[in-house]
Amino acid sequence: MADAIDPAALGAEEQSALERLILTLADSKRLMGIRYSDWILGSPSVETGIATSSMTQDEWGHARLLYAMLKELGRDPEPVEHDRETSEYASIAALDEEMQDWAALVAAMALADRAISVMLESFSRGSFEQAQTRVPKMLAEEEFHISLGTAWYRRLAGTDGDARDLLLAATESMLPTLVAWVGADDAPMQLLVGAGVIGPAEERLAAYRDAIRELTALVGVDADGVEASDDWDGSRGRTAGQPSEEAASRARGDLNRALFVE
Amino acid sequence: MREIVYDVFARKDRGDVLSHIGYVDAFDEETAKVYAHTTYSEQTWFEMCVVERSNIIPVNDGDGLFAQLRRSKNG
Repeated sequence: MADAIDPAALGAEEQSALERLILTLADSKRLMGIRYSDWILGSPSVETGIATSSMTQDEWGHARLLYAMLKELGRDPEPVEHDRETSEYASIAALDEEMQDWAALVAAMALADRAISVMLESFSRGSFEQAQTRVPKMLAEEEFHISLGTAWYRRLAGTDGDARDLLLAATESMLPTLVAWVGADDAPMQLLVGAGVIGPAEERLAAYRDAIRELTALVGVDADGVEASDDWDGSRGRTAGQPSEEAASRARGDLNRALFVE
Repeated sequence: MREIVYDVFARKDRGDVLSHIGYVDAFDEETAKVYAHTTYSEQTWFEMCVVERSNIIPVNDGDGLFAQLRRSKNG
């Protein structure tokens, strides 16, 4: 683990880059939770519904912890959580739209949730003390998500019918933007790598490909051959697009605005 | 898709009795572990484990759940 840095002592550009990183991680966690929550009812079994409910709570808990890290940069997390426009959300593109079938959710569980964990693992080994202390518990909880995602991915990949085709389609749709996100190497990311906040792009990408290679091979996708999508949005640290308005409204808590207690 | 019944056992604290707290339907050990954790983790357990129900061997020939299952399995 790297020696901790003082965030207040970072330059303005480095602080901005760190804020962008925290936001894309926190927003992705929040959207991941929403996508799990969509399947609390209607998933293949009662047990799976309970699992998606539990994972929803995990993701939202992780998001709260990540948003709270913004305080270290002098930013109030509350308006960030509740008052941003949809176009400001920096969550990963794979979670922009509702998963149309269980196979797509399984792909999101195994590939998108895993991408977030790979980024968090690298963040936790870096020089930002809040990540060093708070992220390891998140990653421990994510072990259950990885187990479930891996088991379901294997199961659907081993079928002959529609489920495998849907899994393949979701995999091919998600991977290019996930590879772009994990392997981001633009100027803000390079600043963070230079400050020891997160590992180098090639290291993160190698870890991600290692994590998913065996799984995606089951549907005939070579993880090493997937190229990053070329629609990077440097202002948010994600690829082009934005979450659906409905999802962003839920992420902000629009319907509960009158009941906020913080 | 075929699912298997796994019984869930847990103890609250070190030294407590290991109790049967429920069961889950799962398709392998890994999913059984996840489902047991997500279904029964409202409390904090010192130890939790799952056992495939068909692997439980009843000791007496009573009317218990496991004995009945064993009898039906053995015809």
